[in-house]
Amino acid sequence: MVETFNSLMMGFSVAFQPQVLMYAFFGCIIGTLVGMMPGLGPLAGISLLLPATFGLNPIIAIVLLSGVYYGAMYGGSTTSILMRIPGEAASVMTCVDGYAMTQQGRAGPALAIAAIGSFVAGTLGVIGLMLLAPTLADFALRFGPPEYTALLLMGLFVLAYMSGGSMLKTLAMAVFGLLLGMIGIDVMSGYTRFSFGITELGDGVGIVPVAVGLFGISEILMTAGQADPPKVQQPTLRQLVPTASDLRQSVGPIARGSLLGFMIGIIPGSAHIISSFVSYGMERRLSKTPERFGQGAIEGVAGPESANNAAATGAFVPMLALGIPTGPVTAVMLAAIMVHGILPGPMLIQQQPDLFWGFVASMYVGNVVLLVLNLPMVGLFVNLLRIPYAYLYPCILAFCIVGCYSVSNSTMDVWIMLVMGVVGYVLRKFGFDLAPVALGLVLGPMLELSLRQSLAMSGGDYAIFLQRPIAVTMLVLAVVLLFFAVKPLIFKGKDWRSKVGLDEPADS
Amino acid sequence: MNKRYLMAALLLFCGAAHAQEVFPSRPLSMVVPFPPGGVADVTGRPTAAALEKVLKQPVTIANRPGAGGAVGNAAVANARPDGYTVLMALSSITVIPEADKLFNRKPAYTLDQLAPIALVSADPMILVVHPSLPVKTVKDVIALAKKQPGELSFSSSGVYGALHMPMEMFLHAAQLKMRHVPTTGGGPAITQLLGGHVTMTAGGPAAITSHVKAGKLRTIVTWGAERHPNYREVPTFKEQGYDIVYYIWAGMFAPAGTPEPVMKVLRDAVRQAVNDAEFKAQMARVNSPVNYLDAPDFAKYVDTDAKRLATVVKAIGRVQ
Repeated sequence: MVETFNSLMMGFSVAFQPQVLMYAFFGCIIGTLVGMMPGLGPLAGISLLLPATFGLNPIIAIVLLSGVYYGAMYGGSTTSILMRIPGEAASVMTCVDGYAMTQQGRAGPALAIAAIGSFVAGTLGVIGLMLLAPTLADFALRFGPPEYTALLLMGLFVLAYMSGGSMLKTLAMAVFGLLLGMIGIDVMSGYTRFSFGITELGDGVGIVPVAVGLFGISEILMTAGQADPPKVQQPTLRQLVPTASDLRQSVGPIARGSLLGFMIGIIPGSAHIISSFVSYGMERRLSKTPERFGQGAIEGVAGPESANNAAATGAFVPMLALGIPTGPVTAVMLAAIMVHGILPGPMLIQQQPDLFWGFVASMYVGNVVLLVLNLPMVGLFVNLLRIPYAYLYPCILAFCIVGCYSVSNSTMDVWIMLVMGVVGYVLRKFGFDLAPVALGLVLGPMLELSLRQSLAMSGGDYAIFLQRPIAVTMLVLAVVLLFFAVKPLIFKGKDWRSKVGLDEPADS
Repeated sequence: MNKRYLMAALLLFCGAAHAQEVFPSRPLSMVVPFPPGGVADVTGRPTAAALEKVLKQPVTIANRPGAGGAVGNAAVANARPDGYTVLMALSSITVIPEADKLFNRKPAYTLDQLAPIALVSADPMILVVHPSLPVKTVKDVIALAKKQPGELSFSSSGVYGALHMPMEMFLHAAQLKMRHVPTTGGGPAITQLLGGHVTMTAGGPAAITSHVKAGKLRTIVTWGAERHPNYREVPTFKEQGYDIVYYIWAGMFAPAGTPEPVMKVLRDAVRQAVNDAEFKAQMARVNSPVNYLDAPDFAKYVDTDAKRLATVVKAIGRVQ
């Protein structure tokens, strides 16, 4: 403990060097701006900035990039809440209740809670990273394909709690998402599926263009279809600040979201994307008033926002402790260290203590910077809503297209986004919820891959799922979740859905 | 009146500029068909920086990732052959059209659409096993695999990918059967091995170094034609009696049909660039040995590699 404290102090002495501090600050600002650009998320942000770090020293490079990563996570929630445009997969759930709050004139509290939740989750995550990194990393390695499959199955069963509409519509949308996920090269065999001979579709349909299209573009189209333009909002200062009851309602979701996000985040693979979905489903399940979700429930912002920020920190555990990437973002960050001749690996913490501890300390600093940066900015951001829609929406549309294109210089992504915008518009007109599409698209390919990897490992024997303790535990949990999900279908009328009249009773 | 003179002057000027245009007279674009941070990217960026010094024109990197490199490769294959668009490709460039053929797909590009400029780097793969596996040499691996046919497993970065091909070469040469667990990249493939979910994989020297040093992975043999300078103790397949060689290489291409004088400028520029001190230092830092070959030799190199890999792809056939 004393040793950890001393190391951390050494880390702070690195992080407080004026140059390092300046780059941390700089990274946070760039990140926030990138995150606010529709369609540009953390991955795009750090990929675009990576080449610029080649000339810096490695500590500064990683501090700068992690600042961008964090900042983009914070900034992503801003556009989700204000304009219903997710910057990345993790903020899809924030769009639902966050934007509903904006429409009720409560954008201020939503933004503030998102910032506070992210700060708490980020800070708790760094503490976890600092104290438990080596221990947790070894645990994370035990997550092979079978464990991953079980985890994703649990994620799939959360679907039941995701959407406010009828179960049938929710499942239909989830299947649509899963089908979209089928497009592209099959990793196991090399076959290209449903790509119509278009090379760009070989990697499948990206979640970001789909999410921006389904949520953002469809919203623009919906607004354009209204007879009267929506009233421009003029929030007063009091409306910007979360009330005492807002804060009280958010404590639980933030705490649960942080823990859940961190645990999911440390697992190698891209599972951290599902942390915000799982958090949302969990909060709705635990809530006494689940019908408020989707109508502007602050828990629906607090939980997922905390979860995705904690997962972002959790992702650094295997990266720093073992030198293995947990996802595309950490892969880019590893490259940033490697170009400086530092080999990331199990010895990194011992061999490069000032890099590790400087990085940890700079994350504490970065979180504080972001909170200080974001809370006062809430007022400024909310004022964007004062811009008349006739000017605001064309600008957003242009930003969406530019942002979407710049991620991988692909016009195909722009087309996907636009087509999904129209699809989203039609689906919303028919009263379908869109969040399950996003979850389906994220889960589908991952679930398929890990299931088939497991079977490749066992030579086609399904018993592999029952031979591994972690996998069995999670499968049992998944079955319990499934039971709770179908309970209302078996015991009629016990579900909140019937209480709010969303589902017709089965016997009518 | 004034306007007309101006127009005439402009036209004249353009004509003159066109007549004696020296390549390059505007910025070049180097397409990297993989995302930032990958092997192609960390090789491409220092190369571009060194080329800028020689050509006195900016060389910008355009990452065009997708479909295992096919998107970026195809983009350059179909670009205007004026030398302003070049490609930093990896060895997978020869495998992709073969795999397309295998599946009766319309190929995204063919190799004859691209003209080789120069080989920049080449890195041999090394066979690594989980330390819990009771093997020290290739002979041990083969003996164990023969004793438990189809029980040992290896991870790869994807079917027909850079880690799958060398393993298949080995399995065919030694007539072994193993389970193949493809993942989505070189990083995940090593992660699976570290966790003990598979028993072995082919790894690039840079990617495995820290794990080998920490005792988390054990080296067995290398696909290199000779021993790797950083792994003097690791024997080659050739020494062990198997004639199999596999390198992940990075090389520059231009669209086929690029005029010969332009190609010459590009080739000379790369020759100077690879001798640039800063370039060498940068490549040493990412543990990627510079391995320069000029166009004629590089063309032969690509040809040999393409033939060798085509045989392997055909031998693997369609994965069921």
